[in-house]
Amino acid sequence: MASFLDQDFPDEEEDDFNPVQEVGSDDEGDEKPAADEDAKVDELPTRSERSRSRPQRDEDDDDAKDELGTDGVVGFGRDEDAEGEGRNVDDEDDEEEEDDEEEDEEDDLEGQPSRKRRKQHGRNQFIDVEAEVDEEDEEEPEEDDDQPGEEMHPDDLQELPPGADRDDRKHRELDRQREAQFQMDVEEEAARLKERYGRQSRATGGGSAIVPQRLLLPTTDDPRIFRMKCRPGKEKEVIISIQARVKERAGSREPVHIFSAFERAKPGSPMSGMLYVEASRVEDVLAACEGITHVFMGTKPLMVPLEEMPDLLKVTKEKQLEPGMYVRIRRGLYSGDLAAVYEVEANGTEVTLRIVPRLDYGLNEDVNGPMDAANGPKRKRPLVQRPPARLFSETEAKKRHGKYLSKQGGLSGSNWTYQNKEYVDGFLMDQYKLNALQTDDVNPTLEEVTKFATSSTDDGAENLDLAALAATLKTSTANEFLPGDKVEVFRGEQKGVTGHSVQVYGDVVKVKVDPGNGALSGQHLEAPIRDLRKLFREGDHVKVIGGSKYTDEVGMVVRTKDDRVTLLTDSNQTEITVFSKDLREATDSGGAAADSKFDLFDLVQLDAATVGCVIKVDRESLRILDQNSSVRAMLPSNISNKIEKRHNAVATDRDGNEMKLDDTIKEYSGEQKSGRVLHLHRNFVFAQTRERAENAGVWVGRHPNVQVLAAKGGKAGSGGVDLTKMNPALKQNGASPSPMPPPQAKGRDRLIGKTVKIRTGPNKGMIGIVKDATPEEAKVELHAKNKILTLKKEMLSLIDPQTGNAIAGGIQSLAMGRPPPAGAGRTPAYAGGSGGRTPSYAMQSGGRTPAYAAGGGGRTPAWKQDAGARTPAYGGGTSYGGGGLGGQTAYGGATSYGGATSYGGGSVWGGGAAGGGSGGQSTWNPNMGGRTPAPSGSKTPAYGGMEAPTPGFNSAPTPGSYQDQPTPGGFRDQPTPGGFRGGNQTPGSYQTPGGFPETPGPYSAETPGGDDGPRYD
Amino acid sequence: MFFVKVLEHRIHLHPSFFGAQASAYILDQLYRDREGSNTGTMMIVAIIDVDDISEPKIVPGSGYAEYDVSFRAIVWRPFRGEVVDGMVSSVVNNGFFVDVGGLSVFVSKAMIPQQLKYTVEGATPSFTDGVDQTVERGSQVRLRIKGIRGEMGQMFAIGSIREDYLGPLLQ
Repeated sequence: MASFLDQDFPDEEEDDFNPVQEVGSDDEGDEKPAADEDAKVDELPTRSERSRSRPQRDEDDDDAKDELGTDGVVGFGRDEDAEGEGRNVDDEDDEEEEDDEEEDEEDDLEGQPSRKRRKQHGRNQFIDVEAEVDEEDEEEPEEDDDQPGEEMHPDDLQELPPGADRDDRKHRELDRQREAQFQMDVEEEAARLKERYGRQSRATGGGSAIVPQRLLLPTTDDPRIFRMKCRPGKEKEVIISIQARVKERAGSREPVHIFSAFERAKPGSPMSGMLYVEASRVEDVLAACEGITHVFMGTKPLMVPLEEMPDLLKVTKEKQLEPGMYVRIRRGLYSGDLAAVYEVEANGTEVTLRIVPRLDYGLNEDVNGPMDAANGPKRKRPLVQRPPARLFSETEAKKRHGKYLSKQGGLSGSNWTYQNKEYVDGFLMDQYKLNALQTDDVNPTLEEVTKFATSSTDDGAENLDLAALAATLKTSTANEFLPGDKVEVFRGEQKGVTGHSVQVYGDVVKVKVDPGNGALSGQHLEAPIRDLRKLFREGDHVKVIGGSKYTDEVGMVVRTKDDRVTLLTDSNQTEITVFSKDLREATDSGGAAADSKFDLFDLVQLDAATVGCVIKVDRESLRILDQNSSVRAMLPSNISNKIEKRHNAVATDRDGNEMKLDDTIKEYSGEQKSGRVLHLHRNFVFAQTRERAENAGVWVGRHPNVQVLAAKGGKAGSGGVDLTKMNPALKQNGASPSPMPPPQAKGRDRLIGKTVKIRTGPNKGMIGIVKDATPEEAKVELHAKNKILTLKKEMLSLIDPQTGNAIAGGIQSLAMGRPPPAGAGRTPAYAGGSGGRTPSYAMQSGGRTPAYAAGGGGRTPAWKQDAGARTPAYGGGTSYGGGGLGGQTAYGGATSYGGATSYGGGSVWGGGAAGGGSGGQSTWNPNMGGRTPAPSGSKTPAYGGMEAPTPGFNSAPTPGSYQDQPTPGGFRDQPTPGGFRGGNQTPGSYQTPGGFPETPGPYSAETPGGDDGPRYD
Repeated sequence: MFFVKVLEHRIHLHPSFFGAQASAYILDQLYRDREGSNTGTMMIVAIIDVDDISEPKIVPGSGYAEYDVSFRAIVWRPFRGEVVDGMVSSVVNNGFFVDVGGLSVFVSKAMIPQQLKYTVEGATPSFTDGVDQTVERGSQVRLRIKGIRGEMGQMFAIGSIREDYLGPLLQ
């Protein structure tokens, strides 16, 4: 309707105000026939087009006519109004006239055809029947204006073309319209006009805005603006006083001749203390300000230069304080504190605030200080820290300041007056001047706000005033949104619409609406940022980007409620709640404060005796669980250093089991906490579990108080070889940790009692008898002098006490208690009786044989007993099985060879074994180590050679078998070596030699005699 | 959800392993490295077969041989919105953790129906409605995954049982 009216009105206006009679008459001429035509047509269609823009009127003839009639009459009425009662609308009319004239000018220039078109269009569409009536009406009123006070019927009739008599229906309508119009209240009419014009000016604002702005600029003829000075902060009061004065003197003899007075002061702005008065003369200004308090009449009014006047009046949107909003206090005890506006005074200069009080209840008061009768101690600003912000507590106050405390009447019973200040529900209610407050960039954090929210109800339930909060918060959110953010419109027409921001400019965000929003889906819409908030869904991975102490925390959203988002932090699995504006979708998964030089779970040195594990990294501080299970908050600068993780640290737990990093351990007593080992330090173990919330799941225990539940992953231990390292199988002489040397033979060191010669050192060449021995050292009683020296065993060499000849390799074998090679060598000696071979040995250690024989003699039985259990095993050829000592079996095997050798044929074995051992079996090598040269490949032949000549050999019934068997190839083919390696299948391997059974048969019985028994141990 | 996926793995071999058994070493290593491992988005449950072991290339400067092995594996990848079953590994006051295979899922209190209350009886914390639904350590729970975060070698998720047909499974 409005558009319709707006469009049509200018024409009528024009007809009214522009005395362009010709146009009208032209139209008239055109229209009369049209009217005839129209008259023949049905009524409904006639009007339909005209009223297309307001279909509700369509069926109702009268209504439609009324409308049209009033349209038509407006001009008429206006004419009358303009002269008569129309003063009220004068202003608007004037303005409008300008606009209209402009439009008319345009129309005159190029508008003629268009208007014609419009008219024509109307006619063709049978639409302007009424309009034509209007036209006629309008003309007639004009004529009426010329001859006012007369009915128009006769004139109309005269002027009507022939055949128009049928049109008296129109006249009746016209009458009705006029009646209706007259009944209309003048004010209502004015309002209607205003509305219409107002809209029109807005509608045409786009075009007319530029021109009038320029035209509206003040000229020299306009009143000038004068600046006055006043007391800063009192500007508003002054203005109000001036306003009162203007009113007061309006009807008097000397009215105040000023046009306006205003101030642009804001707290802290350079405009404070300034007052502006618009007047034609300086005298008027002075008259207006004279005698008003706070105005400095001493400074002369300064005329504002013409070109600066518009700037002075530029509208900057001012924020209006409303109850519930948050502000910050600028000065005083509470400077920087957040306060909630409780009430705004009518003049807008003072507000009542709710503040969380900072009271010390006289704790820091100087009791002996001078007293003031009314207010207790004289005001003296103590140089102590201001008390923390806490809610008012009457019990605290009663302790020392009961005399300053009095209860206020009230239903709630929580209103108190304390030291002349009022406390309600624990909050201080105080009045503040507006300029003592900071209303912009308040940026309350959630913690501050919740203090106001939760504490105001008894049960602690949250009752955040979100709207008020939003009003406070929405001030500085221009950079809150970035393109790509998920946003939600949370108020306004498009409430609930979600989308992604595409573009952000100023306070407007262009949003691409997500699918699923009905007709809007996929469209772009623009929304002011105050209607938007960022949208997060459960499970989103977000980062806190500011606005709270949680800055830089990263976590997953678990709940969103209105503006608040709860997230579970990655770093320590706690839930925190922040505003959605402080969040952003996280791309990284880093924890908080990546810039700290300490990371979560680092082990740090606190002082010389104390270490601790970092359990929380804040922006500036760290929380540390020290070795005594106490938690400290420390500055990074207070920490002497970080202890690097020792990845190969090993400790033993309560049960003596190995405990390494990342093993799962459990507390033996107490809470039986379990966890994964983070650090092993001295006697302490730091472990962490994700299942405990406190201390980020970290706990500390002592080694003897924990048990290993599971080694880490089981991967490292069970894994095969590390392919990126040297193949362990190829390592020569490498320490192969797995096959441990056989346990040291129990009993005394066999070196004891032996004759040795000192090979090096100051006593070189001396001979003595070993009196005592440890694995490394021996005490030697020298032959030459009565002195016992403690010497390293390697400095000694075993000699034959008779001949004085050194016994090759003897000392080592004895020292180590490892018989194998030497044993092999010695076997004959043991065999003692088997003289046949002894010679061969004799060649090497001839002298010793007897000694052995002698020495061994006594022992043999004992050994026998010892070895009793094993004996049969030996007999069965399963000497290895008998050995049954894993890696050691090999030795056992070796010894058994020794035994075998004594039987001549068996010695084949010895050779063979040696050969086999040295040949392929690396296991042999390490076992024997470098200490036993015997098995080494090079020597094997030597053995062979040695043994070959043994008579025993010759006597052995199976030279053939010997020939066959000793061949290394043959040997290798036998599973024996395998058995050797594994050490466990030995029995089988023993039997395999096949040839054996023949020989063993007889021997087996003796084997046990088994001189190897002794050797074994 | 489980998938059969063709994956690749690169293995470096020390020159000391060069020999007839090299490819056996490689396979061994592959199984050890990848089976049961977690890539941050999915978990390799089992290697079905090995498609191809590339010709080794000697890495200049080190002498290592580099093998690219492509293999087919059964992988498990959790998805947002997927409904899965798991076993509760621990209960804390603001929710509970559920192990779903190799994935640890946290169900926040906000995602637990209101009627399930946190209670501590003796030493066992649980969420229970006092009637027939109890979530405590060791319970089987059906939940919907609401969000997943993957890091190299581990995955975390949060889940919800605040929906029909979710929650503790009746044993």
